[in-house]
Amino acid sequence: MIRNYIKTAWRNLIKNKFYSIINIVGLTAGLAIGILILFWVQDEFSFDGFHKDAKNIYRLELWGGTGASRQIWQATVYPIGVLAKQQLPEVEDVVRIGYNGDFASYRYHDKIFANDRVAYADPSFFSVFSFPIISGNANKPFNDDNSVVITKSTAQKYFGNDNPIGKVIIADNKQNFTVSGVVADFPENSSMQYDMIMPMSFNIKHMLAQKIDLSDNFDEYDCFTYLKLKPGTSLKALSAKLFNIHIKHHSADTDVAYLLLPLTKMHLYNADLTDRGITTVRVFLIVAILILIIACINYVNLSTARSMLRSKEISMRKIIGAAKSQLFMQFIVETALLFLLSAVFALVLIHFLMPVFNQLSGKQLIFDITDYHVWMVIVLTISGTLLASSIYPAILLSSFEPLKALKGKISSNIGDVMFRKILVVTQFVFSIMLIVGTIVITSQLSYIRSRQLGYDKSHTFSFPMRDMGNHYDAVRAELLKQPGVLDVTRSNQNIIQMNGISGETDWDGKAPGQTFIVHLMTIDKDFLSFFKMKMAAGKGFTGAVNDTSHLILNEAAVNQIGLKDPIGKRFQAWHIKGTIIGVMKDFHFASMREKISPAVFYYYPSYLGNMYIRTTGRDAPKAIQAAQTLFKQYNGEFPFSYTFLDEKFNDLYKGEQQEGTLFNYFATIAIGISCLGLLGLAAYTAQVRTREIGIRKVLGAGVSNVTIMLSYDFVKLVLIAIIIATPIAWYAMSKWLQDFAYRINIEWWMFLVAGLLAIVIAFITISFQAIKAAIANPIKSLRSE
Amino acid sequence: MLSLQHISKFYQVGGTRNFVINDISLEVEAGEFISIMGPSGSGKSTLLNIIGMLDEPSSGYHYFAGETVHQLKDKQRSALYKKYIGFVFQAYHLIDELTVYENIETPLIYQDFKSTERKAMVADMLDRFQIVGKKDLFPAQLSGGQQQLVGIARALIAGPKLLLADEPTGNLNSKQGEEIMQLFKKLNKEDGVTIIQVTHSEKNAEYGSRIINLLDGRIESSKQL
Repeated sequence: MIRNYIKTAWRNLIKNKFYSIINIVGLTAGLAIGILILFWVQDEFSFDGFHKDAKNIYRLELWGGTGASRQIWQATVYPIGVLAKQQLPEVEDVVRIGYNGDFASYRYHDKIFANDRVAYADPSFFSVFSFPIISGNANKPFNDDNSVVITKSTAQKYFGNDNPIGKVIIADNKQNFTVSGVVADFPENSSMQYDMIMPMSFNIKHMLAQKIDLSDNFDEYDCFTYLKLKPGTSLKALSAKLFNIHIKHHSADTDVAYLLLPLTKMHLYNADLTDRGITTVRVFLIVAILILIIACINYVNLSTARSMLRSKEISMRKIIGAAKSQLFMQFIVETALLFLLSAVFALVLIHFLMPVFNQLSGKQLIFDITDYHVWMVIVLTISGTLLASSIYPAILLSSFEPLKALKGKISSNIGDVMFRKILVVTQFVFSIMLIVGTIVITSQLSYIRSRQLGYDKSHTFSFPMRDMGNHYDAVRAELLKQPGVLDVTRSNQNIIQMNGISGETDWDGKAPGQTFIVHLMTIDKDFLSFFKMKMAAGKGFTGAVNDTSHLILNEAAVNQIGLKDPIGKRFQAWHIKGTIIGVMKDFHFASMREKISPAVFYYYPSYLGNMYIRTTGRDAPKAIQAAQTLFKQYNGEFPFSYTFLDEKFNDLYKGEQQEGTLFNYFATIAIGISCLGLLGLAAYTAQVRTREIGIRKVLGAGVSNVTIMLSYDFVKLVLIAIIIATPIAWYAMSKWLQDFAYRINIEWWMFLVAGLLAIVIAFITISFQAIKAAIANPIKSLRSE
Repeated sequence: MLSLQHISKFYQVGGTRNFVINDISLEVEAGEFISIMGPSGSGKSTLLNIIGMLDEPSSGYHYFAGETVHQLKDKQRSALYKKYIGFVFQAYHLIDELTVYENIETPLIYQDFKSTERKAMVADMLDRFQIVGKKDLFPAQLSGGQQQLVGIARALIAGPKLLLADEPTGNLNSKQGEEIMQLFKKLNKEDGVTIIQVTHSEKNAEYGSRIINLLDGRIESSKQL
């Protein structure tokens, strides 16, 4: 029986090549893209889920600050986790991870690497998390404070194939670390990504030498704390207990509130469970489903439309004894065969598209057919779409009344023309929404690029000077002589994205209990002129000795604390105290998603480690060469690495950029598949209406009349789709834009462009078939009746 | 074998009823070969379809092989005709996508015969109709007469007691038509298959054992040959 079904199905496929190809191409494209997006979505959801105890591990975060500056801090103080483990039975274990910025380079014999993926961590790192230890002991990963555990590929990099255990890596030419363990490379879907892990105890000792006792320090918020809890622990109660511990040691922090973010959520959520990527994942999930639906609709539409042409076969089968259920099965098998073929093509297509998709999405997905997750996605997708596409046509076809069908009494109304029209409208609603999405995202991105940043970043590159910084004046003079170098200045960090933050602020007229967080940056005297920044009031630094007790605030800072006549007022941030000598006009030093934050600029020449060089653009390579030569002169073999500000700026919007590009492709594919379906329907309509067209032509209708007549019905559907899609797209994209502090308005022309595009593409698709039908000789079509 | 009593079939057009079959009563004994004749629109095909249970009468009583057909549910009715009735059509109505062999085999598939059984039965039928050489051809590759032969083979494959033929020679030339009629006669005489055919041709009608003339949905005359 089943063999018979397959045979019939195959012959039907071969017989109707045109429709089979339309269906297979549409389904293949839909399945391939749908599955690719679902892989991406699945990968996002899989983050940090590989830890054996993932369900019981939480990252400790907290609400810090007050008023406008109240925000979630991901990093905590050092002692809180340890105290929690000592005092609270529900806390089974604790891991503290601190960023290791103490060393810039690591050397083994003649191999030197700069590396910033280095962390300090408690030994429990290897027992709480499930990063497999390849050699060494997971329960005792460090032999002493000067041990280091490195990843497999780091070992490879430093030692080749030699046994890394016991080898000594020298940090910054002064500190020895002995390799005591090798851990497998961190999986791609791990939020934590490190190359080397050093013992937290080293950090504590190191800081103690600088008179900072981290074990009793409630001011420094710079370590991540992970807690492994007993199953069933009440997070609310625990957070209250943690607050009590904190307040006992540091009674001033009454507004601190602890949050526990589940390990498996930290990739997509903030600690208060607001969006940190989950929205994008949901959007992509929806897009994948939309594309799959569009592909399914093609199949349903074509197979129900064409069911009329099969009515004779179906009736005959019924008359010679086919039961409804048997016919139903036959059509399911037919659909399944087509899907199976498309699925095979789709898998081949995915294989080839994967690298491109990875490049576009910035992921490292591997199409590994031995991974059951991969098959889960594939099987679920294919069976879901198969189910959605096969049942309705099968029911429709198997329920024909044989006698009527045989006599040709089943008019073109069978299978509900209305139903098909609704489906076509649905397809185009989805497509138009995606086109509008693409237009809005692209416009917003170009708006960000063209928006005045408040400073000039053109043709400028920057790099950390390291030891060259001690000879800054000489180096600057030397560089200015070089061709291609226009100007040179320095600061302590990169202007594109300022990271230094302090909450220890005080100023004249501060209300008691008021807290205020500012960004802090130290700049050279010529920094403002270098970047063509403007002052709103007062003056900049001159380089005079007393400038170290002068501060410049930005307008945002002045406005937020409501400081009147700021010039001459006293201000303190972190340990920088002084009088305000100027107010700088606001400039963007973070992503446009955020409003310009308060910032304070001070003058501390010894902190100025980051050099900026503005070039003519054309001679940039010469300028880079010159900078590199000088860099080597003072830093020896230490690797020289620079970034252009434009590049770093673009990096800020990498996510949005990728989203935009992907949307572009998704929209194209969606509209492409929709049009394939339209092409099939138009061809079918032309076929069914051949006789009518013939009669009209005999009566004197021209080619254009007939073409317009045939196209009108379809274009009407696209128009309806535009009307439906507009408010939905408007709503969705407004929500997307809300994430940007600086954003475009959604304009009516965006919908006009999307709609026109859809109509034009649809019309071109249809008119081919319409014109073909219109220019056919009417005698021929009438004779065949 | 079958009995129709006061069977009517009408369509409601506005306030009036349009009768296609108007109060027909008819008894058919096993082994008969009946030809139904009459002008276009006299209700021949409708009557045949009602007998074959493809169409339902608007009123009247219908008995077949001891069953009360007008009281049966759809499923039981189709089980009944599957078992007892074979159909032959003027336009053959073979399934274009299937070969001669498969066309003949299909009814057996739907009646859940085993593969080996099917093979034997179809081979037997091909042999009997002398179309073994054509078994792998598709309908489009056959002449009209050959297609009708396949149509008859398909109707007979499951061993029906009653063969219903709606102008089986209507699309054939006279020589092909005659061959088909000879075949019917033989089936009726030698295999005891009851046959009811609708025909326009006086000559073909005379192959039968009884001729029924219809006019405007009524039996105008009936004559035993």
